[in-house]
Amino acid sequence: MLPYLHFVLLPQVIDGLIIGVALALVALGLTMIFGLLDVINLAHGEIYMIGGYAALTLIGWGGGYWSAILLVPAIAGLAGWALEELGVRPLLPRPDRAVVTLLLTFGVSLVLRDLAQVIFGTETYSIAAPVSGVTFLAGVPVPLYRLVVLGVGVAAILVTWWIVYRTRIGAVLRATAADPDMTASFGIPIRLVYGATFFYGCALAGLAAVLLGPIYAVFPTMGHDFLVLAFAVVIVGGMGSILGAVVAALLLAQVHAIASLWIPPVWAETLVYGVMLLVLVVRPAGLFRRMGEA
Amino acid sequence: MQAGALAQKLGGLGVARRGLRGWIVPLLFGLALAFPWVAGDFYVRLAIEAFLLGAIALSVDILLGCAGLLSLGQAMYFGLSAYLTALCYLHVTQSFWLVAAIVGAAVALVAALLGAVAIRAKGVYFALITFGVAEIAGKVVHNTRALGGSDGLIGIPVPSIGLPGIEVALRNDRVFYYVVLVTVALVFLGVSRILATPFGSVLSAIRDNASRVPYLGYNPFWYKFLAYLLAAEVAAVGGLFYPLLRGFVGPDLFGFEISTQSVVMALVGGVGTLIGPLVGGVMITFLQSVLGSFTERHLFVLGVIFILFVRFLPGGLFGLLRRGPPK
Repeated sequence: MLPYLHFVLLPQVIDGLIIGVALALVALGLTMIFGLLDVINLAHGEIYMIGGYAALTLIGWGGGYWSAILLVPAIAGLAGWALEELGVRPLLPRPDRAVVTLLLTFGVSLVLRDLAQVIFGTETYSIAAPVSGVTFLAGVPVPLYRLVVLGVGVAAILVTWWIVYRTRIGAVLRATAADPDMTASFGIPIRLVYGATFFYGCALAGLAAVLLGPIYAVFPTMGHDFLVLAFAVVIVGGMGSILGAVVAALLLAQVHAIASLWIPPVWAETLVYGVMLLVLVVRPAGLFRRMGEA
Repeated sequence: MQAGALAQKLGGLGVARRGLRGWIVPLLFGLALAFPWVAGDFYVRLAIEAFLLGAIALSVDILLGCAGLLSLGQAMYFGLSAYLTALCYLHVTQSFWLVAAIVGAAVALVAALLGAVAIRAKGVYFALITFGVAEIAGKVVHNTRALGGSDGLIGIPVPSIGLPGIEVALRNDRVFYYVVLVTVALVFLGVSRILATPFGSVLSAIRDNASRVPYLGYNPFWYKFLAYLLAAEVAAVGGLFYPLLRGFVGPDLFGFEISTQSVVMALVGGVGTLIGPLVGGVMITFLQSVLGSFTERHLFVLGVIFILFVRFLPGGLFGLLRRGPPK
């Protein structure tokens, strides 16, 4: 029993943890954008994809992995900011903004995915891991690079938490989520807050793409596949909840990792959506509260 | 029967007293009746596909345009119906009417179960639930070997429809075309009639101000629930014919692509107009086919159309015909 736990279960749990952290980064962006603007960004997966291709290109130019990890989030962030500025903003005054922005970002996602196919083709590329070697975590062999993912990912999550809950910027953010009109009347430039939220949320997706690049691969539908999962995370955690996104990402990644031991991975994936459905039925608003709500 | 007279009668039934739309619907129906005599086989089959996809768009419109519910998973009922139809013809019976009854009942059952859950969710959550359920359904079918897995089911026989005194053989493309056209037209008229009743008015009231409706003594739940059932059945009509057109069904029929494409169709044609989504369905299907013969980038074009319509023409083509300012 104990060896089973140690050599079969534990490696899966560690794997799930690493994927869960990366998933949390993508889900955080989605949930922040929804929490603040009521916008479901269906192009978020393609922003993640842009991150993947940006990393690929930068490294191809000889930039090296570590410069990519610094630059790619900025590129993905700019793409997100442009999406907000050009596409989403004009639709915000509309009463049905949740629906129309969802449709708009969906259109953008189709265009971006197809553009990626035109520019890079349908092949899958892989990014070489910047560190090789294996280390032992509680007796379980773990590739060193996965620890890098874990470290950087956890750091990004902590920084996000710190910004949102411990800085003045975060206070403005939460105030805007709670009541944009009131916040604007205090002289806060709401438009800037919205743009910055899109920038930051998409930068997190870009970071996730660089981190996962060496583990998964870079291909045109990488974002689409990942987005559906990130959605499940956001739904389970509660749309607009920072804590919820992190908890649900770790939880669902574990469900997937552990279930994969006993059932085929495709069914494990289905199970993840089953959990999502269950949460929707029992607690439609998700497990945690939206940011800005007391 | 004279085509024009029939069209006039049909048009008069469903959409009277609506200004321009009063003659546009009969005109379109007349054009559709004439179509197989001027177009080749390929385009006749394409038009059949367009009508069937248009039915899903109509189903989206019942929910979005009339009840204010955005469904991102309406293809699930299309796929469910298509698979059931295929299974019935392969293993159970060759009787069109029996299959239609089985599919209708099964879809109603699934829609009732799911609707009861999905309707409770508000706004965006409804979109997410429908999206999630369709995604699961597609994955389950994709992973189930008994249903053909990712290959789907092939070799579906094409039946005849038994009418009093006559057997309508769907093997003939033109006959198939008219059967589908008349079916979709009847569905359209039926939906128009249903939504023109007080039931439809209550639905519109729910769409416009959900919190006020209960004070007037109506329970929004049951109205939305029935609208959901109706929409599911309308999408299922598409699935009832689709396997006969293609000869096979695959798990992608449940997919996000078809669900969202049907939302595009509804949006291009005009949400809330009922006829708009059907026209949008025909336009998008033909556009994709024509573009597909020039370029593989039809998703790109679809995306651009989507963006332009959301951004600049939210009322869709038929929204332009409406009097008064767009919503």
